[in-house]
Amino acid sequence: MDEQQLIAGSLEGSREDFRMIVEKYSAPAMALAMNVLRNRDDAEDACQELFIQVYRNLQSYDPGRSFKNWVYTILYRRCLDHLKRRRRAADLVNRVGRETAPAIPSNPGCSESPRSLPSELLEKLKAKERTALCLWANEGYNSREISEVLRCSASTARVYLFQARKKIKKLLEQGHASLQNG
Amino acid sequence: MPHCKTVEFLYAIVPLKLWRGFLIRRHIEKCPGCLASLASREEAGKLLVRGVDGVAVGRSLWAGVEAAIAEDPGREKSKAGILQRPPVRRWGWAVATAFLGVLLISFVFLKDFRPGRVSAEAVQARFELDSVRVGGQPANAVIYQPQGSDMIIIWAEKNL
Repeated sequence: MDEQQLIAGSLEGSREDFRMIVEKYSAPAMALAMNVLRNRDDAEDACQELFIQVYRNLQSYDPGRSFKNWVYTILYRRCLDHLKRRRRAADLVNRVGRETAPAIPSNPGCSESPRSLPSELLEKLKAKERTALCLWANEGYNSREISEVLRCSASTARVYLFQARKKIKKLLEQGHASLQNG
Repeated sequence: MPHCKTVEFLYAIVPLKLWRGFLIRRHIEKCPGCLASLASREEAGKLLVRGVDGVAVGRSLWAGVEAAIAEDPGREKSKAGILQRPPVRRWGWAVATAFLGVLLISFVFLKDFRPGRVSAEAVQARFELDSVRVGGQPANAVIYQPQGSDMIIIWAEKNL
C-alpha cells in the first residue's frame, strides 16, 4: 500500500495502517537511534517514543514534505533528549560517587563491559556528527536532506558531516586500521 | 597541494559554520586530494549499525506502541481541540469587536466631558426665558457662557 494511503488510513483511525507504518520505519529508525545513542535499550525507548509521537501528531504532518525526514527529525529530537537525560544521570552518579566513596579505586575493566572498536570510534563524534554520518552513509542523504532532519542550514550540516568524516578517517589511520579490512 | 593547505588554514582560523560550509562546498567536496583525507561511505558504513532485523524490531516496538496509544486519549483530545477551536476563535473576535465598539462610543461621548462643565444647551435650558422686554417693548435675548467659565451673559436687544 502507498505511504500516503497508510498515513490517511492512520488519520482515520486505522490501527492496521499505523502498524504497517511502524513496521516499515522501525528498522531504519532503530539503526539511526542505535548509532546516535550507542545503546540498544535506549534506542528501543527512543523509537517507541517516536512512534507514539508520530501517532499523536500525524495530523500536523505536511504531505508536501518527506514523511521519512519528518520521522527522522522527531527521532533525532528524542535521541537528544535521551542523551541529555543520560548526561544528567552520569553527573549525579559521579557527584554521589565522589561524596560517598572517594577512597575506592575505580576499576573500569570490571564495572563496564568492554566496548567494541566501532563504538569507541563513534564516541569521539558529537551526536550531530553521528546523526549526519549515519544519514549520509546508511541512507545516502545529502547535506540539504541532513539539514532538514537536524533543523539547521545546509551549510551547517555540511560542516557536521565533514568533521565526522575527517575524525573517523584520522582515527582509522591512527590505530584502528584493522577495521578497514572488515 | 598548496591550494588545499590554504583552504585548510582558512577553515581552521575562521570558526564560522557558514564560512566553513562555503569552503567545503567550493573546494573540499570537489578536490580529490581533500576527499582522500575524509572517510568514505564504505569506511563509515563499517562503523555504523546497519543490519537491524526489521521484522522482529517492528513487532516488539508495535506491542509497546499499541499499548500506549490504546490507553492514551492524546490524539482524540487534540482532535476535539481542533474541532472546538474555530467557534472559540469566532466568539473571541466578536467579543473583541464589541469591546472596541464600546470603547469607541465611550470615547466619543466622554471626550468633551469635564467635571463641573455645563454645556451651552444646558445653560439655555436653565435660563429659558418666555419673553424679554426692554423699555416696555419686547426684545430679543441671547444667553451666552464663555468656554470654561461659570459666568453666564444674557444679551437683550430691542426689536427695531
